[in-house]
Amino acid sequence: MADVIRAENLTKFYGKQRGVLELDFAVKPGEVFGYLGPNGAGKTTTIRTFLDFIRPTEGRATVLGLDSHRDSVEIHRRVGYLPGEFSLYEQMTGAEYLAFFAQLRGGVDPGYVAELAERFDVELHVKIRSLSHGNRQKVALLQAFMHRPELLILDEPTQGLDPLMQQEFYRLLSETRSDGRTVFLSSHVMPEVDRTCDRVAIIREGRLAAVEDIGDLKAKEIRTLEVHFTAPVAETEFAGLPGVRQVEASGDEVRITVAGPMDAVVKAVARHEVVDLQSHEPSLEEIFLTFYGGAEHGG
Amino acid sequence: MAAELTLRRPMLRTTFRKTLSDQRRALVWWALGLFAAGATYAPFYPSIKENAETLTKYMESMPEFLKDAFLGASGDFVSPAGYLNTELFNFFAPILMLLYAIGAGARAIAGEEERQTLDVLLATPIARRRVVLEKYGAMLAGGAMLAIVLWLSVPLTGPPFDLTPSLWDLAAACLMTYLLAIAFGSIALAVGCATGRRGLAIGVTAGLAGAAYLIDLLTPAIESVEWLQYLSPLHYFLDPEPMMNGLGVGGSLVLAGIAVVALAYALWSFERRDLAA
Repeated sequence: MADVIRAENLTKFYGKQRGVLELDFAVKPGEVFGYLGPNGAGKTTTIRTFLDFIRPTEGRATVLGLDSHRDSVEIHRRVGYLPGEFSLYEQMTGAEYLAFFAQLRGGVDPGYVAELAERFDVELHVKIRSLSHGNRQKVALLQAFMHRPELLILDEPTQGLDPLMQQEFYRLLSETRSDGRTVFLSSHVMPEVDRTCDRVAIIREGRLAAVEDIGDLKAKEIRTLEVHFTAPVAETEFAGLPGVRQVEASGDEVRITVAGPMDAVVKAVARHEVVDLQSHEPSLEEIFLTFYGGAEHGG
Repeated sequence: MAAELTLRRPMLRTTFRKTLSDQRRALVWWALGLFAAGATYAPFYPSIKENAETLTKYMESMPEFLKDAFLGASGDFVSPAGYLNTELFNFFAPILMLLYAIGAGARAIAGEEERQTLDVLLATPIARRRVVLEKYGAMLAGGAMLAIVLWLSVPLTGPPFDLTPSLWDLAAACLMTYLLAIAFGSIALAVGCATGRRGLAIGVTAGLAGAAYLIDLLTPAIESVEWLQYLSPLHYFLDPEPMMNGLGVGGSLVLAGIAVVALAYALWSFERRDLAA
Protein backbone atom coordinates (compact mmCIF):
# COMPACT_ATOMS: atom_id res chain seq x y z
CA MET A 1 0.00 0.00 0.00
CA ALA A 2 1.10 3.54 -0.66
CA ASP A 3 2.69 5.69 2.02
CA VAL A 4 0.27 7.67 4.13
CA ILE A 5 2.64 10.61 4.52
CA ARG A 6 5.66 11.26 2.40
CA ALA A 7 8.16 14.07 2.84
CA GLU A 8 10.41 14.56 -0.17
CA ASN A 9 13.34 16.86 0.31
CA LEU A 10 10.99 18.97 2.42
CA THR A 11 12.65 22.26 3.27
CA LYS A 12 11.28 25.37 4.91
CA PHE A 13 13.03 28.63 5.60
CA TYR A 14 11.45 31.60 7.31
CA GLY A 15 13.46 34.30 5.61
CA LYS A 16 16.96 33.23 6.47
CA GLN A 17 15.89 31.36 9.54
CA ARG A 18 15.96 27.59 9.39
CA GLY A 19 12.64 25.79 9.69
CA VAL A 20 13.37 22.26 8.44
CA LEU A 21 15.98 21.04 5.98
CA GLU A 22 15.78 18.34 3.33
CA LEU A 23 13.46 16.01 5.18
CA ASP A 24 12.90 12.64 3.56
CA PHE A 25 10.75 10.05 5.24
CA ALA A 26 7.57 8.06 4.79
CA VAL A 27 4.81 7.00 7.16
CA LYS A 28 3.28 3.60 6.41
CA PRO A 29 -0.40 2.74 6.59
CA GLY A 30 -1.60 1.54 9.96
CA GLU A 31 1.41 2.55 11.99
CA VAL A 32 1.81 4.94 14.86
CA PHE A 33 4.69 7.07 13.74
CA GLY A 34 6.54 9.14 16.30
CA TYR A 35 8.22 12.41 15.45
CA LEU A 36 10.67 13.01 18.19
CA GLY A 37 12.79 16.06 18.80
CA PRO A 38 13.51 18.79 21.30
CA ASN A 39 11.46 21.97 21.28
CA GLY A 40 12.37 24.16 18.34
CA ALA A 41 13.70 21.28 16.25
CA GLY A 42 11.12 21.84 13.51
CA LYS A 43 8.36 19.40 14.47
CA THR A 44 5.52 21.91 14.28
CA THR A 45 6.91 23.37 11.05
CA THR A 46 6.83 19.92 9.46
CA ILE A 47 3.29 19.23 10.63
CA ARG A 48 1.94 22.58 9.51
CA THR A 49 3.42 21.93 6.08
CA PHE A 50 1.50 18.66 5.83
CA LEU A 51 -1.69 20.62 6.49
CA ASP A 52 -0.85 23.42 4.04
CA PHE A 53 -0.78 26.15 6.69
CA ILE A 54 2.74 26.89 5.53
CA ARG A 55 4.28 26.12 2.15
CA PRO A 56 7.63 24.44 1.67
CA THR A 57 10.53 26.50 0.37
CA GLU A 58 11.73 23.40 -1.46
CA GLY A 59 10.59 19.84 -1.85
CA ARG A 60 7.08 18.65 -1.22
CA ALA A 61 4.87 16.55 0.99
CA THR A 62 2.11 14.15 0.09
CA VAL A 63 -0.56 13.10 2.54
CA LEU A 64 -2.79 10.12 1.74
CA GLY A 65 -1.22 10.19 -1.70
CA LEU A 66 -2.42 13.76 -2.26
CA ASP A 67 -0.34 16.87 -2.73
CA SER A 68 -0.24 18.82 0.55
CA HIS A 69 -0.93 22.14 -1.16
CA ARG A 70 -3.01 21.39 -4.24
CA ASP A 71 -5.31 18.87 -2.55
CA SER A 72 -5.41 20.39 0.92
CA VAL A 73 -9.20 20.43 1.20
CA GLU A 74 -9.46 16.72 0.44
CA ILE A 75 -6.62 16.00 2.87
CA HIS A 76 -8.37 17.99 5.59
CA ARG A 77 -11.52 15.98 5.02
CA ARG A 78 -9.70 12.74 5.81
CA VAL A 79 -7.34 13.91 8.55
CA GLY A 80 -7.84 14.73 12.23
CA TYR A 81 -5.52 17.39 13.57
CA LEU A 82 -4.51 18.49 17.02
CA PRO A 83 -2.25 21.56 17.02
CA GLY A 84 0.60 21.97 19.46
CA GLU A 85 -0.46 25.45 20.41
CA PHE A 86 -4.03 26.51 19.99
CA SER A 87 -6.96 28.31 21.53
CA LEU A 88 -10.56 27.22 21.45
CA TYR A 89 -13.52 29.52 21.03
CA GLU A 90 -13.79 30.75 24.60
CA GLN A 91 -17.41 31.83 24.46
CA MET A 92 -18.66 28.39 23.35
CA THR A 93 -19.25 25.34 25.47
CA GLY A 94 -17.33 22.19 24.60
CA ALA A 95 -20.51 20.72 23.09
CA GLU A 96 -21.07 23.79 20.93
CA TYR A 97 -17.45 23.73 19.85
CA LEU A 98 -17.63 20.10 18.77
CA ALA A 99 -21.00 20.65 17.07
CA PHE A 100 -19.53 23.55 15.10
CA PHE A 101 -16.67 21.41 13.81
CA ALA A 102 -18.98 18.47 13.23
CA GLN A 103 -21.04 20.71 10.96
CA LEU A 104 -17.96 21.83 9.06
CA ARG A 105 -17.11 18.16 8.57
CA GLY A 106 -20.58 17.17 7.44
CA GLY A 107 -21.58 15.42 10.64
CA VAL A 108 -20.07 12.81 12.93
CA ASP A 109 -21.36 9.85 14.92
CA PRO A 110 -22.84 11.35 18.11
CA GLY A 111 -22.53 8.04 19.93
CA TYR A 112 -18.79 8.03 19.34
CA VAL A 113 -18.45 11.62 20.54
CA ALA A 114 -20.40 10.78 23.69
CA GLU A 115 -18.21 7.72 24.25
CA LEU A 116 -15.00 9.74 23.86
CA ALA A 117 -16.34 12.49 26.12
CA GLU A 118 -17.09 9.93 28.79
CA ARG A 119 -13.75 8.15 28.48
CA PHE A 120 -11.84 11.38 28.81
CA ASP A 121 -14.21 12.79 31.38
CA VAL A 122 -14.69 16.03 29.45
CA GLU A 123 -16.92 18.79 30.78
CA LEU A 124 -18.87 19.56 27.61
CA HIS A 125 -21.55 21.81 29.03
CA VAL A 126 -19.57 24.65 30.51
CA LYS A 127 -18.07 27.56 28.62
CA ILE A 128 -14.61 26.80 27.37
CA ARG A 129 -13.28 29.96 29.00
CA SER A 130 -13.78 28.36 32.41
CA LEU A 131 -12.04 25.08 31.53
CA SER A 132 -8.58 24.16 32.77
CA HIS A 133 -5.73 23.70 30.33
CA GLY A 134 -6.07 19.92 30.54
CA ASN A 135 -9.77 20.04 29.77
CA ARG A 136 -9.22 22.29 26.78
CA GLN A 137 -6.65 19.81 25.53
CA LYS A 138 -9.27 17.08 25.84
CA VAL A 139 -11.87 19.06 23.88
CA ALA A 140 -9.29 19.60 21.13
CA LEU A 141 -8.44 15.87 21.18
CA LEU A 142 -12.12 14.99 20.73
CA GLN A 143 -12.26 17.43 17.84
CA ALA A 144 -9.38 15.57 16.18
CA PHE A 145 -10.78 12.07 16.74
CA MET A 146 -14.54 12.52 16.47
CA HIS A 147 -14.91 11.97 12.74
CA ARG A 148 -12.78 8.79 12.86
CA PRO A 149 -10.26 10.09 10.35
CA GLU A 150 -8.02 7.63 8.54
CA LEU A 151 -4.99 9.70 9.54
CA LEU A 152 -4.41 11.59 12.78
CA ILE A 153 -1.77 14.27 12.95
CA LEU A 154 -1.15 15.13 16.57
CA ASP A 155 1.32 17.78 17.71
CA GLU A 156 2.42 17.04 21.28
CA PRO A 157 -0.95 15.48 22.11
CA THR A 158 -0.38 14.67 25.78
CA GLN A 159 0.74 18.08 27.00
CA GLY A 160 -1.48 19.17 29.83
CA LEU A 161 -3.12 15.77 30.27
CA ASP A 162 -2.84 14.24 33.71
CA PRO A 163 -1.27 10.74 33.92
CA LEU A 164 -4.62 8.94 34.02
CA MET A 165 -5.78 10.69 30.87
CA GLN A 166 -2.46 9.99 29.20
CA GLN A 167 -3.11 6.28 29.76
CA GLU A 168 -6.55 6.66 28.23
CA PHE A 169 -5.03 8.48 25.31
CA TYR A 170 -2.48 5.70 24.77
CA ARG A 171 -5.36 3.19 24.72
CA LEU A 172 -7.13 5.31 22.13
CA LEU A 173 -3.98 5.29 20.04
CA SER A 174 -3.70 1.53 20.08
CA GLU A 175 -7.40 1.18 19.18
CA THR A 176 -6.82 3.56 16.30
CA ARG A 177 -3.98 1.37 15.14
CA SER A 178 -6.06 -1.79 15.42
CA ASP A 179 -8.67 -0.12 13.20
CA GLY A 180 -5.95 0.08 10.58
CA ARG A 181 -5.78 3.83 10.81
CA THR A 182 -2.54 5.78 10.90
CA VAL A 183 -1.19 8.18 13.51
CA PHE A 184 1.56 10.76 13.16
CA LEU A 185 2.49 12.03 16.58
CA SER A 186 5.11 14.52 17.63
CA SER A 187 6.71 14.51 21.02
CA HIS A 188 9.73 15.77 22.86
CA VAL A 189 9.65 13.00 25.46
CA MET A 190 11.26 9.67 24.71
CA PRO A 191 9.18 7.41 27.00
CA GLU A 192 5.93 8.51 25.37
CA VAL A 193 7.15 7.69 21.89
CA ASP A 194 8.67 4.56 23.26
CA ARG A 195 5.41 3.15 24.52
CA THR A 196 3.07 4.29 21.76
CA CYS A 197 4.92 4.22 18.47
CA ASP A 198 5.93 1.59 15.93
CA ARG A 199 8.55 3.73 14.29
CA VAL A 200 10.20 6.98 15.17
CA ALA A 201 11.80 9.76 13.21
CA ILE A 202 14.22 11.79 15.24
CA ILE A 203 14.58 15.41 14.23
CA ARG A 204 17.19 17.77 15.47
CA GLU A 205 17.94 21.33 14.42
CA GLY A 206 15.63 20.96 11.45
CA ARG A 207 17.31 17.85 10.10
CA LEU A 208 16.31 14.23 10.24
CA ALA A 209 18.77 12.46 12.51
CA ALA A 210 17.35 8.95 12.11
CA VAL A 211 14.27 6.89 11.39
CA GLU A 212 14.17 3.79 13.57
CA ASP A 213 11.93 0.90 14.46
CA ILE A 214 10.97 1.36 18.04
CA GLY A 215 12.51 -2.03 18.84
CA ASP A 216 15.89 -0.95 17.54
CA LEU A 217 15.66 2.25 19.48
CA LYS A 218 14.81 0.37 22.63
CA ALA A 219 17.75 -1.93 22.07
CA LYS A 220 19.93 1.14 22.05
CA GLU A 221 18.15 2.72 24.92
CA ILE A 222 20.17 3.70 27.91
CA ARG A 223 18.91 3.52 31.45
CA THR A 224 20.52 4.34 34.72
CA LEU A 225 19.71 1.99 37.57
CA GLU A 226 20.08 3.26 41.08
CA VAL A 227 20.21 0.33 43.47
CA HIS A 228 20.22 0.66 47.23
CA PHE A 229 21.56 -2.51 48.89
CA THR A 230 21.58 -3.44 52.57
CA ALA A 231 25.37 -3.58 52.47
CA PRO A 232 28.07 -2.20 50.15
CA VAL A 233 28.51 -4.08 46.87
CA ALA A 234 31.67 -3.89 44.76
CA GLU A 235 31.57 -2.12 41.37
CA THR A 236 33.34 -5.09 39.83
CA GLU A 237 30.21 -7.21 40.33
CA PHE A 238 28.59 -5.29 37.45
CA ALA A 239 31.39 -3.71 35.48
CA GLY A 240 31.96 -6.54 33.02
CA LEU A 241 28.31 -7.48 32.37
CA PRO A 242 26.79 -7.19 28.87
CA GLY A 243 25.45 -3.70 28.12
CA VAL A 244 26.94 -2.03 31.17
CA ARG A 245 28.48 1.28 30.26
CA GLN A 246 29.36 2.71 33.61
CA VAL A 247 29.25 1.76 37.32
CA GLU A 248 29.63 4.02 40.34
CA ALA A 249 29.39 2.77 43.89
CA SER A 250 29.14 4.89 47.00
CA GLY A 251 28.36 3.25 50.30
CA ASP A 252 25.32 0.98 49.97
CA GLU A 253 24.29 2.55 46.67
CA VAL A 254 25.36 1.66 43.16
CA ARG A 255 24.54 3.54 39.94
CA ILE A 256 24.73 1.39 36.85
CA THR A 257 24.31 2.76 33.32
CA VAL A 258 23.04 0.06 30.96
CA ALA A 259 22.42 0.01 27.22
CA GLY A 260 20.01 -2.53 25.75
CA PRO A 261 18.64 -5.58 27.58
CA MET A 262 18.78 -5.43 31.36
CA ASP A 263 18.73 -9.15 32.02
CA ALA A 264 22.32 -9.71 33.11
CA VAL A 265 22.34 -6.68 35.37
CA VAL A 266 19.05 -7.53 37.04
CA LYS A 267 20.25 -11.05 37.78
CA ALA A 268 23.49 -9.74 39.23
CA VAL A 269 21.58 -7.27 41.39
CA ALA A 270 19.29 -10.03 42.60
CA ARG A 271 22.16 -11.93 44.21
CA HIS A 272 22.20 -9.27 46.93
CA GLU A 273 19.58 -7.97 49.32
CA VAL A 274 17.94 -4.91 47.75
CA VAL A 275 16.30 -2.06 49.68
CA ASP A 276 15.29 0.08 46.74
CA LEU A 277 15.70 0.19 43.00
CA GLN A 278 15.03 3.01 40.59
CA SER A 279 15.40 3.21 36.86
CA HIS A 280 15.85 6.52 35.08
CA GLU A 281 14.89 7.12 31.47
CA PRO A 282 17.48 9.00 29.54
CA SER A 283 16.74 12.53 28.43
CA LEU A 284 16.60 13.28 24.73
CA GLU A 285 19.93 15.02 25.04
CA GLU A 286 21.51 11.89 26.43
CA ILE A 287 20.16 9.89 23.51
CA PHE A 288 21.48 12.39 21.03
CA LEU A 289 24.77 12.42 22.86
CA THR A 290 25.06 8.68 22.73
CA PHE A 291 23.77 7.81 19.29
CA TYR A 292 23.45 10.71 16.98
CA GLY A 293 26.77 12.39 17.19
CA GLY A 294 27.24 15.00 19.82
CA ALA A 295 25.10 17.25 21.96
CA GLU A 296 22.56 19.48 20.35
CA HIS A 297 23.37 23.08 19.96
CA GLY A 298 20.54 25.17 21.26
CA GLY A 299 16.97 24.75 20.03
CA MET B 1 -26.32 17.96 20.86
CA ALA B 2 -26.86 14.66 19.08
CA ALA B 3 -28.98 16.23 16.39
CA GLU B 4 -26.36 18.85 15.65
CA LEU B 5 -23.67 16.23 15.19
CA THR B 6 -25.43 14.03 12.66
CA LEU B 7 -25.44 15.47 9.22
CA ARG B 8 -24.97 13.91 5.89
CA ARG B 9 -22.89 16.64 4.31
CA PRO B 10 -21.08 19.79 5.40
CA MET B 11 -23.57 22.49 6.29
CA LEU B 12 -23.43 25.56 4.16
CA ARG B 13 -22.71 28.87 5.79
CA THR B 14 -21.65 27.33 9.11
CA THR B 15 -18.81 29.79 9.51
CA PHE B 16 -21.02 32.64 8.36
CA ARG B 17 -23.60 31.84 11.02
CA LYS B 18 -21.00 31.39 13.73
CA THR B 19 -19.33 34.69 12.90
CA LEU B 20 -22.64 36.52 13.07
CA SER B 21 -23.56 34.72 16.26
CA ASP B 22 -20.20 35.71 17.81
CA GLN B 23 -21.08 39.32 17.00
CA ARG B 24 -24.62 39.21 18.27
CA ARG B 25 -24.01 40.97 21.56
CA ALA B 26 -21.76 43.60 20.01
CA LEU B 27 -24.27 44.09 17.20
CA VAL B 28 -27.00 44.86 19.70
CA TRP B 29 -24.81 47.59 21.19
CA TRP B 30 -23.89 48.96 17.77
CA ALA B 31 -27.56 48.98 16.82
CA LEU B 32 -28.46 50.84 20.01
CA GLY B 33 -25.69 53.32 19.33
CA LEU B 34 -26.86 53.95 15.78
CA PHE B 35 -30.46 54.22 16.85
CA ALA B 36 -29.44 56.69 19.53
CA ALA B 37 -27.44 58.63 16.95
CA GLY B 38 -30.49 58.88 14.73
CA ALA B 39 -32.81 59.64 17.61
CA THR B 40 -30.64 62.20 19.39
CA TYR B 41 -30.81 64.75 16.60
CA ALA B 42 -34.60 64.82 16.40
CA PRO B 43 -35.36 66.85 19.59
CA PHE B 44 -32.96 69.62 18.51
CA TYR B 45 -34.55 70.05 15.12
CA PRO B 46 -37.32 72.49 16.15
CA SER B 47 -34.89 74.96 17.68
CA ILE B 48 -32.68 74.81 14.57
CA LYS B 49 -35.67 75.57 12.43
CA GLU B 50 -36.76 78.50 14.59
CA ASN B 51 -33.35 80.09 14.54
CA ALA B 52 -32.73 79.33 10.90
CA GLU B 53 -32.12 82.90 9.86
CA THR B 54 -29.56 83.73 12.53
CA LEU B 55 -27.75 80.47 12.06
CA THR B 56 -27.62 80.84 8.30
CA LYS B 57 -26.07 84.27 8.59
CA TYR B 58 -23.54 82.99 11.06
CA MET B 59 -22.65 80.04 8.90
CA GLU B 60 -22.28 82.18 5.84
CA SER B 61 -19.57 84.18 7.53
CA MET B 62 -17.43 81.04 7.85
CA PRO B 63 -14.62 80.16 5.42
CA GLU B 64 -15.73 77.95 2.56
CA PHE B 65 -14.03 74.71 3.63
CA LEU B 66 -15.33 74.93 7.20
CA LYS B 67 -18.78 75.52 5.85
CA ASP B 68 -18.37 72.43 3.71
CA ALA B 69 -17.17 70.46 6.68
CA PHE B 70 -20.09 71.40 8.86
CA LEU B 71 -22.88 71.76 6.39
CA GLY B 72 -22.00 69.65 3.41
CA ALA B 73 -21.88 71.07 -0.07
CA SER B 74 -25.52 72.12 -0.21
CA GLY B 75 -25.30 74.49 2.72
CA ASP B 76 -28.86 73.63 3.62
CA PHE B 77 -29.28 72.64 7.24
CA VAL B 78 -32.79 73.84 7.84
CA SER B 79 -34.98 71.46 5.86
CA PRO B 80 -35.43 68.00 7.45
CA ALA B 81 -33.23 66.49 4.74
CA GLY B 82 -30.63 69.22 5.05
CA TYR B 83 -30.59 68.93 8.82
CA LEU B 84 -30.03 65.18 8.74
CA ASN B 85 -27.50 65.53 5.96
CA THR B 86 -25.54 68.04 7.98
CA GLU B 87 -25.79 66.51 11.39
CA LEU B 88 -26.20 62.78 11.00
CA PHE B 89 -24.70 61.78 7.67
CA ASN B 90 -21.81 64.20 7.62
CA PHE B 91 -20.31 62.79 10.73
CA PHE B 92 -21.83 60.53 13.32
CA ALA B 93 -23.54 57.80 11.30
CA PRO B 94 -20.60 57.15 8.96
CA ILE B 95 -18.16 57.10 11.87
CA LEU B 96 -20.15 54.49 13.80
CA MET B 97 -20.69 52.37 10.71
CA LEU B 98 -17.01 52.63 9.80
CA LEU B 99 -15.94 51.57 13.28
CA TYR B 100 -18.15 48.51 13.12
CA ALA B 101 -17.00 47.46 9.66
CA ILE B 102 -13.30 48.09 10.27
CA GLY B 103 -13.46 46.05 13.48
CA ALA B 104 -15.32 43.20 11.80
CA GLY B 105 -13.04 43.20 8.77
CA ALA B 106 -9.86 43.22 10.84
CA ARG B 107 -11.11 40.53 13.19
CA ALA B 108 -12.35 38.17 10.49
CA ILE B 109 -9.08 36.41 9.71
CA ALA B 110 -6.35 38.26 11.60
CA GLY B 111 -8.33 38.06 14.85
CA GLU B 112 -8.59 34.29 14.66
CA GLU B 113 -4.98 33.99 13.60
CA GLU B 114 -3.74 36.07 16.53
CA ARG B 115 -5.89 34.18 19.01
CA GLN B 116 -4.62 30.87 17.57
CA THR B 117 -8.03 29.52 16.68
CA LEU B 118 -7.41 29.59 12.92
CA ASP B 119 -5.41 26.35 12.56
CA VAL B 120 -8.23 24.11 13.72
CA LEU B 121 -10.75 26.00 11.61
CA LEU B 122 -8.64 25.64 8.47
CA ALA B 123 -7.88 21.98 9.21
CA THR B 124 -11.49 21.28 8.24
CA PRO B 125 -12.47 20.63 4.62
CA ILE B 126 -13.32 24.31 4.17
CA ALA B 127 -11.00 26.11 1.77
CA ARG B 128 -9.29 29.27 2.91
CA ARG B 129 -11.19 31.44 0.43
CA ARG B 130 -14.46 29.98 1.63
CA VAL B 131 -13.67 30.97 5.22
CA VAL B 132 -12.83 34.50 4.08
CA LEU B 133 -16.02 34.74 2.03
CA GLU B 134 -18.27 33.48 4.82
CA LYS B 135 -16.75 35.88 7.31
CA TYR B 136 -17.06 38.66 4.76
CA GLY B 137 -20.71 37.72 4.33
CA ALA B 138 -21.17 38.06 8.08
CA MET B 139 -19.72 41.57 7.96
CA LEU B 140 -22.07 42.45 5.08
CA ALA B 141 -25.06 41.10 6.98
CA GLY B 142 -24.15 42.75 10.29
CA GLY B 143 -23.54 46.07 8.56
CA ALA B 144 -26.83 45.79 6.67
CA MET B 145 -28.67 45.25 9.91
CA LEU B 146 -27.09 48.38 11.36
CA ALA B 147 -27.94 50.41 8.25
CA ILE B 148 -31.56 49.34 8.58
CA VAL B 149 -31.61 50.34 12.24
CA LEU B 150 -30.17 53.71 11.28
CA TRP B 151 -32.86 54.12 8.66
CA LEU B 152 -35.62 53.18 11.11
CA SER B 153 -34.36 55.53 13.82
CA VAL B 154 -35.51 58.65 11.94
CA PRO B 155 -39.17 57.78 11.14
CA LEU B 156 -39.50 56.26 14.62
CA THR B 157 -38.27 59.32 16.51
CA GLY B 158 -38.50 62.30 14.14
CA PRO B 159 -42.24 62.96 13.55
CA PRO B 160 -42.99 64.54 16.97
CA PHE B 161 -40.34 67.13 16.13
CA ASP B 162 -41.38 67.70 12.53
CA LEU B 163 -38.31 65.85 11.35
CA THR B 164 -39.92 64.07 8.42
CA PRO B 165 -37.57 63.69 5.48
CA SER B 166 -38.22 61.59 2.40
CA LEU B 167 -37.80 57.97 3.47
CA TRP B 168 -36.42 57.13 0.03
CA ASP B 169 -33.67 59.69 0.32
CA LEU B 170 -33.05 58.56 3.86
CA ALA B 171 -32.72 55.00 2.58
CA ALA B 172 -30.30 56.18 -0.10
CA ALA B 173 -28.21 57.94 2.54
CA CYS B 174 -28.21 54.84 4.76
CA LEU B 175 -27.26 52.64 1.81
CA MET B 176 -24.36 54.88 0.87
CA THR B 177 -23.21 55.04 4.49
CA TYR B 178 -23.28 51.26 4.41
CA LEU B 179 -21.27 51.10 1.19
CA LEU B 180 -18.71 53.50 2.62
CA ALA B 181 -18.37 51.36 5.74
CA ILE B 182 -18.09 48.16 3.71
CA ALA B 183 -15.41 49.71 1.51
CA PHE B 184 -13.24 50.41 4.55
CA GLY B 185 -14.22 47.15 6.23
CA SER B 186 -12.99 45.36 3.11
CA ILE B 187 -9.69 47.23 3.30
CA ALA B 188 -9.33 46.16 6.94
CA LEU B 189 -10.09 42.57 5.91
CA ALA B 190 -7.46 42.78 3.18
CA VAL B 191 -4.76 44.11 5.50
CA GLY B 192 -5.66 41.43 8.06
CA CYS B 193 -5.62 38.68 5.42
CA ALA B 194 -2.28 39.85 4.06
CA THR B 195 -0.53 40.27 7.40
CA GLY B 196 -2.41 38.25 10.01
CA ARG B 197 -2.24 41.24 12.33
CA ARG B 198 -5.49 42.65 13.62
CA GLY B 199 -4.10 45.76 15.27
CA LEU B 200 -2.23 46.68 12.12
CA ALA B 201 -5.36 46.16 10.03
CA ILE B 202 -7.37 48.46 12.29
CA GLY B 203 -4.62 51.06 12.48
CA VAL B 204 -3.90 51.20 8.77
CA THR B 205 -7.57 51.34 7.81
CA ALA B 206 -8.53 53.92 10.42
CA GLY B 207 -5.54 55.98 9.31
CA LEU B 208 -6.69 55.74 5.70
CA ALA B 209 -10.19 56.81 6.68
CA GLY B 210 -8.81 59.77 8.61
CA ALA B 211 -6.60 60.78 5.69
CA ALA B 212 -9.53 60.38 3.30
CA TYR B 213 -11.59 62.70 5.47
CA LEU B 214 -8.90 65.38 5.62
CA ILE B 215 -8.23 65.17 1.89
CA ASP B 216 -11.90 65.55 1.13
CA LEU B 217 -12.22 68.41 3.61
CA LEU B 218 -9.18 70.46 2.63
CA THR B 219 -8.34 69.85 -1.00
CA PRO B 220 -11.49 71.23 -2.70
CA ALA B 221 -10.63 74.69 -1.38
CA ILE B 222 -7.14 74.67 -2.90
CA GLU B 223 -7.26 74.87 -6.65
CA SER B 224 -3.84 73.37 -7.38
CA VAL B 225 -4.62 70.13 -5.50
CA GLU B 226 -8.34 70.11 -6.04
CA TRP B 227 -8.08 66.87 -8.05
CA LEU B 228 -6.83 65.08 -4.94
CA GLN B 229 -10.35 64.93 -3.56
CA TYR B 230 -11.18 62.29 -6.16
CA LEU B 231 -8.67 59.98 -4.45
CA SER B 232 -10.65 60.08 -1.24
CA PRO B 233 -13.32 57.39 -0.89
CA LEU B 234 -15.21 59.80 1.33
CA HIS B 235 -15.66 62.13 -1.61
CA TYR B 236 -17.88 59.53 -3.26
CA PHE B 237 -20.04 59.38 -0.17
CA LEU B 238 -20.18 63.04 0.85
CA ASP B 239 -20.29 64.74 -2.51
CA PRO B 240 -23.53 63.16 -3.84
CA GLU B 241 -25.36 64.19 -0.64
CA PRO B 242 -27.84 61.32 -0.95
CA MET B 243 -29.98 62.72 1.85
CA MET B 244 -30.67 65.70 -0.41
CA ASN B 245 -30.40 64.22 -3.87
CA GLY B 246 -31.20 60.52 -3.55
CA LEU B 247 -28.82 57.73 -4.39
CA GLY B 248 -25.58 58.80 -6.03
CA VAL B 249 -25.17 55.97 -8.49
CA GLY B 250 -21.64 56.83 -9.56
CA GLY B 251 -20.46 57.32 -6.00
CA SER B 252 -22.09 54.08 -4.89
CA LEU B 253 -20.39 52.18 -7.69
CA VAL B 254 -17.01 53.60 -6.74
CA LEU B 255 -17.50 52.59 -3.11
CA ALA B 256 -18.68 49.11 -4.10
CA GLY B 257 -15.71 48.88 -6.48
CA ILE B 258 -13.28 49.64 -3.65
CA ALA B 259 -14.90 46.87 -1.61
CA VAL B 260 -14.66 44.36 -4.46
CA VAL B 261 -11.01 45.14 -5.19
CA ALA B 262 -10.10 44.95 -1.50
CA LEU B 263 -11.95 41.64 -1.13
CA ALA B 264 -10.18 40.22 -4.17
CA TYR B 265 -6.84 41.25 -2.71
CA ALA B 266 -7.80 39.72 0.64
CA LEU B 267 -8.61 36.38 -1.01
CA TRP B 268 -5.48 36.42 -3.13
CA SER B 269 -3.09 37.35 -0.33
CA PHE B 270 -4.58 34.96 2.22
CA GLU B 271 -4.46 32.07 -0.23
CA ARG B 272 -0.75 32.35 -0.84
CA ARG B 273 0.53 33.21 2.63
CA ASP B 274 2.10 31.16 5.41
CA LEU B 275 -0.10 31.31 8.48
CA ALA B 276 1.28 32.19 11.88
CA ALA B 277 1.47 29.25 14.28
